[in-house]
Amino acid sequence: MSESRVLQEFMPLFQPKTVAVIGASTKGTAFPNVFIRRIREFGFEGPIYPIHPSAAEIDGLPAYKSLADTPEPIDYAFIAIPGAQIPPLLRAARGRVRFAQVISSGFGEVEEGRALQEELAAAAREGGARLIGPNCLGMYTPRGKVTFAETGPKEVGTVGVLSQSGGLGTDIIRRGFARGLKFSGLITVGNCADVTPTDLLEFYFADPVTRVVGMYIETAKDGRRLFELLRSANAAKPVVILKGGRTSQGRAAAASHTGSLAGDERVWLALSRQTGCILVDTVDQFIDTLLIFQSLTPRPAQPTRRVTLFGNGGGASVLATDYFSRLGLDVTPFGEETIAELAALDLPPGTSITNPVDCPVGTLQQDDGRVAEKILDIMYASGKPDALVMHLNLSAFVGRAKPEVLDNLVEAAMRVQKQYPSQAHFLLVLRSDGDPPLEQRKREFREKAGALGVPVYDEMTNAAHALAALQMYERFVHKRAGSS
Amino acid sequence: MVIETARRQGRSALDEAAGKALLAKYGIGVPKTIVVKSVEDVNDALSVLTLPVVVKVVSPDILHKSDAGGVTVSLRSPDEVRDAIRRMSARPKIAAARIEGWLIEEMAPPGQELVVGGLRDPDFGPLIMLGLGGIFVEVLGDVSFRICPITRLDAEEMIDELKGAAILKGARGRKPASREAIVDVLLNMGGANGLLMRYADDISEADINPLIVTETTAMAVDARFILTSKP
Repeated sequence: MSESRVLQEFMPLFQPKTVAVIGASTKGTAFPNVFIRRIREFGFEGPIYPIHPSAAEIDGLPAYKSLADTPEPIDYAFIAIPGAQIPPLLRAARGRVRFAQVISSGFGEVEEGRALQEELAAAAREGGARLIGPNCLGMYTPRGKVTFAETGPKEVGTVGVLSQSGGLGTDIIRRGFARGLKFSGLITVGNCADVTPTDLLEFYFADPVTRVVGMYIETAKDGRRLFELLRSANAAKPVVILKGGRTSQGRAAAASHTGSLAGDERVWLALSRQTGCILVDTVDQFIDTLLIFQSLTPRPAQPTRRVTLFGNGGGASVLATDYFSRLGLDVTPFGEETIAELAALDLPPGTSITNPVDCPVGTLQQDDGRVAEKILDIMYASGKPDALVMHLNLSAFVGRAKPEVLDNLVEAAMRVQKQYPSQAHFLLVLRSDGDPPLEQRKREFREKAGALGVPVYDEMTNAAHALAALQMYERFVHKRAGSS
Repeated sequence: MVIETARRQGRSALDEAAGKALLAKYGIGVPKTIVVKSVEDVNDALSVLTLPVVVKVVSPDILHKSDAGGVTVSLRSPDEVRDAIRRMSARPKIAAARIEGWLIEEMAPPGQELVVGGLRDPDFGPLIMLGLGGIFVEVLGDVSFRICPITRLDAEEMIDELKGAAILKGARGRKPASREAIVDVLLNMGGANGLLMRYADDISEADINPLIVTETTAMAVDARFILTSKP
């Protein structure tokens, strides 16, 4: 499908003008009632049509008996009623519903629900609606001001997500939000009886707002199409895949070596190698990786290799150097010239200036933290790294430095970053010990840094994985561009 | 043609000669092979083959020929070939099977042993696999997979992904294996016009084991194709 047709087809889902809600009760306690409240709070201003067999009014809104009876056609219907009642409901839509998301379960995820799922899909086709789900939780789309989730940024971001698990979708919104992710949308797709992850990936590729796509996938029945889409010219955005149920077990009944060696794990690894999509193993890595692509622009022309680590904590620097190296990131010492320039700053004893650059709090607080700016300046101008990771162990500052020192440090880093635009990827690691006041400060820093487009990580290992993913993507694009 | 014939005969797999004929049609080197019905045909067969040769039993009942005692290598004269056929015929597993004939083929020159495989994945379609032969594939599972069709770059990366890739470059005094020949086999199997794409609906599993690669050539010394169960 052409990009403009994909946009035309799916934009009403991401930005519905009208919403129907099926399953809200007159008592106002069912999940669909909560959904009505949430989208109103989230700022949805279009008409909301409760559909109910008998009630005249629900949550203060006029109710309608059928999807065919609403004043305006429906862009998005949120359906949470017992499964067997849904096919007749959808058949009655008569082409007036564009997207129907079925939250209810008891379909293809259980043996006895398979026939009902087929009936559901057929009913949606007959009624003229695209079906999302069943067995999902809903969607979160800030541009459309529709959300199933209790919290999540109102701001429209650049990270497009789809999830075959509803609960995980909630986690991704909440945890992602806490770590600085801003979404262009998150759709939970459940059993994918009609709309598949590949369909939504195609939308996100075409969507001008989305810069990076994240997918939580358990099964890809249209794997062939997914492969072909990821290989096509339309696949110009990084894709991060968290694959559930990746076993290395081969086919049980294999009659060949090949068959006994081919596990799901191998197939997804092949997909990653051939298309440059990034496979991650945990929700944390998923969020960390999306965050780096949200914040930094990949540089395929000069893939990331040399990394400078700068911060406080000798042991932390050494361990981080090992960890970065294991992931293929090069933390080699500076050349003589750079070391000489840093030495000329005459930093106090205990400061290591070779890369990793390890400065105790005593050094960092010199001149209220402004010495850090000089160090950073030399590292950029002379060391010329592809990426610079600045790490601050916040606990080490407590009771030893004026509160503004930390602010000065972060601001110094931002100023230097601006002086050398797009020279190096810049990542900030703010380590803390979980102490509530420190966590609060960290949150404030994270917000400030995020506003300036700097990704903030909790630990060096998180930053390392994210940077390694960026490197892998840059190398992939670099190599394919060079070979065609 | 080969697959259509096997389908018509109701077979669930290609026999070795048919498998090799299919590989040859797709540009993959196979040893020169002749199937004889009995010892009477051996002289005729050897008039067009170069000694030494290998003799293998041809039977729809025997999937693992070596295990059944149905393979004899390094035969250097017509008498040795006839003796080998008589000896193998007497072995219990072979005596009990339907014997369609005996495959006589030229010995491949020595080289590095690899395995190239194919598989139909229910979601992703045809896959191709590459591994180093022997313990590398059987014990260590040192293989790389790709989804078909593969590009030349994919094929190169499949080789480089193997943990034992250095062996192909001629480690420990061995002669290197031709990278170009391996890439060609991978593309002939899994490329856009390759065998696995052409017969995506028919081939359920495939093994070329071993593929013997010298400094200049690659030769499929044994081949198995398991067909999909079509309605």
